[in-house]
Amino acid sequence: VNPQHHKYALIAGVAVAVIVLSWAMFAALSWLLRRPVPGSEATTVPSVTAPAGAKPAAPRINATLYFASEDGQRLVSVQQEVPLAGSVVEQARAILEAQFSAKPPESLTPTIPEGAAVRGLYVSSQNDVFVDLEPTVRSKHPGGSMQELLTVYTIVNALLTNLPTLQQVQILIDGREADTLAGHVDLRRPLKKNDNLLATPP
Amino acid sequence: MRRTHLASFVVTVLCLASIGTLPAQAPTTTLTLLSREGRRSLPTTAIGNQDYVSVDDLNAAFGTTAREDRLAGGLTITLRNRSALLTADQTVVQANGRLVSLLAPVLRRDGRWLVPVDFIPRALSLLLETRLDLRRSSRLLVMGDMRVPRVVVSIDAGVTNLSVIFEVTPSGDAKVSAPPGRLQVQFEADALELTLPPIPAQTFLLGLAQSETPGAVAIVTGPRYAQYRTSSSQTDAGSTRFVVDLLPATTTTTAPATATPAPDMRPSLNATPSTGLRTLVIDPGHGGDELGAQGPRGTLEKNVTLAVARRLRTLVETRLGLKVFLTREDDRTVPLDDRSAFANAHRADVFLSIHANAAVRPSLKGAEVYYLTVERADAEARKRADDTATAVPELGGGTRMIDLILWETAQARYLEQSSTLAGMIEQSLGTRLEMSPRAVRQAPFRVLVGANMPAALVEMGYLTNADQERQLTSAGYQDYVVQAILEALIKFRDLLDTTAQ
Repeated sequence: VNPQHHKYALIAGVAVAVIVLSWAMFAALSWLLRRPVPGSEATTVPSVTAPAGAKPAAPRINATLYFASEDGQRLVSVQQEVPLAGSVVEQARAILEAQFSAKPPESLTPTIPEGAAVRGLYVSSQNDVFVDLEPTVRSKHPGGSMQELLTVYTIVNALLTNLPTLQQVQILIDGREADTLAGHVDLRRPLKKNDNLLATPP
Repeated sequence: MRRTHLASFVVTVLCLASIGTLPAQAPTTTLTLLSREGRRSLPTTAIGNQDYVSVDDLNAAFGTTAREDRLAGGLTITLRNRSALLTADQTVVQANGRLVSLLAPVLRRDGRWLVPVDFIPRALSLLLETRLDLRRSSRLLVMGDMRVPRVVVSIDAGVTNLSVIFEVTPSGDAKVSAPPGRLQVQFEADALELTLPPIPAQTFLLGLAQSETPGAVAIVTGPRYAQYRTSSSQTDAGSTRFVVDLLPATTTTTAPATATPAPDMRPSLNATPSTGLRTLVIDPGHGGDELGAQGPRGTLEKNVTLAVARRLRTLVETRLGLKVFLTREDDRTVPLDDRSAFANAHRADVFLSIHANAAVRPSLKGAEVYYLTVERADAEARKRADDTATAVPELGGGTRMIDLILWETAQARYLEQSSTLAGMIEQSLGTRLEMSPRAVRQAPFRVLVGANMPAALVEMGYLTNADQERQLTSAGYQDYVVQAILEALIKFRDLLDTTAQ
């Protein structure tokens, strides 16, 4: 069963109820997003007010995903459509899942090892994201600090670039804190976005 | 389907929770409103975990008027022909025809109306038709197009100089002028959101303060200061790093250190991290179950690193007469933190981790040298850690002082030296081997985090490249690598010796 289809069916069903519940949703969302970026309206996900009038025709948003550059030393950003989700957590997961399964344009290579998968994703009240990965991300990783940096910062940058209310990303493996993914990059603490690895810094 | 139920349950609970009971009021503090008209303070009251501001105070500050509708239990705030509708105990307000949700409900207490502070940027800004930027951490409210960059200042105290580092977000230029007794750093700004660090004990810098001139910081210089030097660079995500180096009267290497007028007053416990190079700890990367990278012909990184580490030990012991220890002598699994702990326990003056790299592109080749990236929070923690000296009982009676350093910030205090060391190794490797395009890099590598001494990680080459795999297993190439590291260690030792005088 495709979980995305499931989600849209869900959105369609909820659409009518949303009108009634919209005030309640506002309260809940503002509570969830305790620390939004100053000046921004409640959330960066534009779906909150949209579903009431929107057709359930699988809305999608443009997201920035990352791949390894031709020389294998940099991250290159690529715009790709991902399904629109109803909450930051779901949107984060949708983006990550798109990143994990994305086919890169020619000349670029994926930075996420084949077979890697997301086990879970949580957002704390501080807007820190915890990404729990299947242990395959470690067993299938080719090793090497360069490749490890690219893998880790693909995950970190994909989440923090697309969802600016999120602050930092901590990667867990198999539900636990891990020292590293392949022996180098420190995963014991949350990581911030890294623009130095980008092929063309912003 | 289970998720739907859960979601609606959560929504209901949150909804009830947000409208529910609120704890008693806490003491009053203020927000500072910065506008073209100047500064003005706005009293706030903490209720629950939210800061509230009274509508009366908002009216006084922004020229709005309020009218209460007792029957409907609502309040209308008006400015000219625009209005906002508030309802007691509701988190949603209507402002200028738009629905806006707030982090906490509007309250009516003892005849006064209170709104959570995020009402100001979210709703009031719609009435005023101007931007109101609420900066919670500094309790600033910036109105209109005022340029109020965030400036975080840090201090890097060296032996022969002191750097005052300004991280300016968003990016902007700064100019330094030198009125007597101080330096004035003027930013392109109307005001600053300024974070100042504590001043360490030394004689270059006596103090830092927000200047009376808007958008400027004053550096009060000390007796050892004679001249300054500035540099600026763009860091990640739109910040400028502006550095003012305070230098003593003589900076040339020919001048003896005794020429400096004032003695270095830094306490001996946290003074110069190293007074020379006597002990080296080499860390052969990976080992045991951790194979590391693999070459196309099956060469394992863990074996190459051990071979090179042994070679390096022999050379450094015989040529430099240093004590050299390896974090592993054979093929075994050693956790990363144990490796730097080993170096700390052996009081190493330098810690070098030896690795070979891997890439998905087989064409990628070249050596690289890394030192640790430290985030700002760690650098601040490091300042605190610097001062933690603790007395511990000694065997046979009495006590001795030890200085306690947080594991996570140990390396942060040696970043400058580690960067120098990494640069020297890179330069030296570059004369003998092919380097990768950007050879010195910073990265958050776990093995370096806890090292309480200058530390670097050397990637000797890419095992995934067939040519380099052959090279990395050859005695000739391994000798090039260790020769280059030896040369860099000699340079680094000389540097430590001159700065220690």
